[in-house]
Amino acid sequence: MIEFTNLKKSFGEKLVLDGVSHVMETGKTNLIIGTSGSGKTVLQKCLVGLFEPDEGEIIYDGKNFTEMTQDERKLLRQQIGMLFQGSALFDSMTVQDNIKFPLDMFTKDAHAAKIKRVDEVLERVNLVGSNKKFPSEISGGMKKRVGIARAIVLNPKYLFCDEPNSGLDPQTSMLIDKLIAEITKEYNMTTVINTHDMNSVMEIGDNILYMKNGKKEWTGNSKDIIFSDNQGLNEFIFASEFLQDAKNMRKLEAQGKVDQNGDIKK
Amino acid sequence: MNFLSQFGKYILMLKGMFSKPENAKLYWKEFMHQCAEIGVGSLGIVVLISVFMGAVSTVQTSYQLVSPLISKSAIAQIVRDTVILEFAPTLVCIVLAGVIGSKIASELGNMRVSEQIDALEIMGINTKTYLVMPKIVASLITIPMLVVLAMGLGIYGGRLAGSAAGILPVEEFDRGLMENFMPYNVTFALIKAYTFAFIISTISAFFGYYVSGGSLEIGRSSTKSVVVSCVMILLADYALAALLL
Repeated sequence: MIEFTNLKKSFGEKLVLDGVSHVMETGKTNLIIGTSGSGKTVLQKCLVGLFEPDEGEIIYDGKNFTEMTQDERKLLRQQIGMLFQGSALFDSMTVQDNIKFPLDMFTKDAHAAKIKRVDEVLERVNLVGSNKKFPSEISGGMKKRVGIARAIVLNPKYLFCDEPNSGLDPQTSMLIDKLIAEITKEYNMTTVINTHDMNSVMEIGDNILYMKNGKKEWTGNSKDIIFSDNQGLNEFIFASEFLQDAKNMRKLEAQGKVDQNGDIKK
Repeated sequence: MNFLSQFGKYILMLKGMFSKPENAKLYWKEFMHQCAEIGVGSLGIVVLISVFMGAVSTVQTSYQLVSPLISKSAIAQIVRDTVILEFAPTLVCIVLAGVIGSKIASELGNMRVSEQIDALEIMGINTKTYLVMPKIVASLITIPMLVVLAMGLGIYGGRLAGSAAGILPVEEFDRGLMENFMPYNVTFALIKAYTFAFIISTISAFFGYYVSGGSLEIGRSSTKSVVVSCVMILLADYALAALLL
């Protein structure tokens, strides 16, 4: 569980996070959503320590991250996996070496054991046989999966994903979402995902934090969101007429007003 | 004010490099990789420049020494001292500032922009120790080696040009090399080489490590690192000469 209270962060005069508090739950996919510039990336970077918040506390399972020394943070970070927007794979290394890197750095396992673990995670992300390929030789979706494999290779307790679906087609996006959701349950991790992908919100949103202008605007899950009357959230999530219709349909389904054939009951 | 804040950031980067490596074996591997990249990677250009600068020194010195009172072997002495004192350490390091400096700055800059540095930080790795330190140590080891090589090759190039152009025979050149040789000159050149190696590696690492933006900024910071390194080399060259000679 990751709990943060009253997080504030400014860049010069601009206040980007304005007292955000929330709890990211274990074994659930916790989504941070919001329009561009709403502060979600800054929030995630504060949570992993890439930015220092000006005020507020971040608690990782009872341990105060904001008060930790650099050495304590380094130890905690070995329990954190992160999938970056651009995957952030090391260009000069093969897929296998990219995934093996955290094992080389932090474990004393024999080479064979490391390769076995790499193969396990590659199988988990459906990339068996891609060991010897370089990042430049694989597609965007595959890069994301390699990124996930590298993030989970040390069995982390916390997984952070920054825009996991950016630049991917809808089908691949769904596969990545499904994979992240499955891995979260399987490893019982606290997964925090930054996204503005509507599909992700509706499919894997166990715990959603909607941000607007650096503030917490709404929280709930993918079911609650259909019934939300928050204007900003509705404008953001159900931006098009098509999505509005989909929302209304889901609402009717949830209210039991749709029959088995998908027709509205009279 | 901006200079002071940048300088402070530079000092903090250097200070931040000193931490216990998470895995000594991987750090050693990275250090050896950098030695190969910086040392072996620059070998070709250093050999080429050194031989030609020695050759040109011989030809030009001979052109300027028209007095019949000065022995031809003086050409060898002048070439030797010029190459050891100035050409090998300063000229080679200015070229290396372009070759190595831009390479370090663009490599780190690309890693920063593509979030690879963030990925390493998230894993719990001190990126200053893992990425910057091996580059600086490798530069401090290989650049003086390249400078020593440049000294030898420069003098050899001068010797070669002297005999090829019929300026002075090889025997006379060799005799001139032995006359009035001051070993301190080599020490001075090495002091310069270490100073310049530090300047090249730390400045280019600084500009690369703190790059922000996209590919355009990587190019800009790479150019900036070369310009600043060259200016600092020239300033340090003058300061060292004034202090130590």
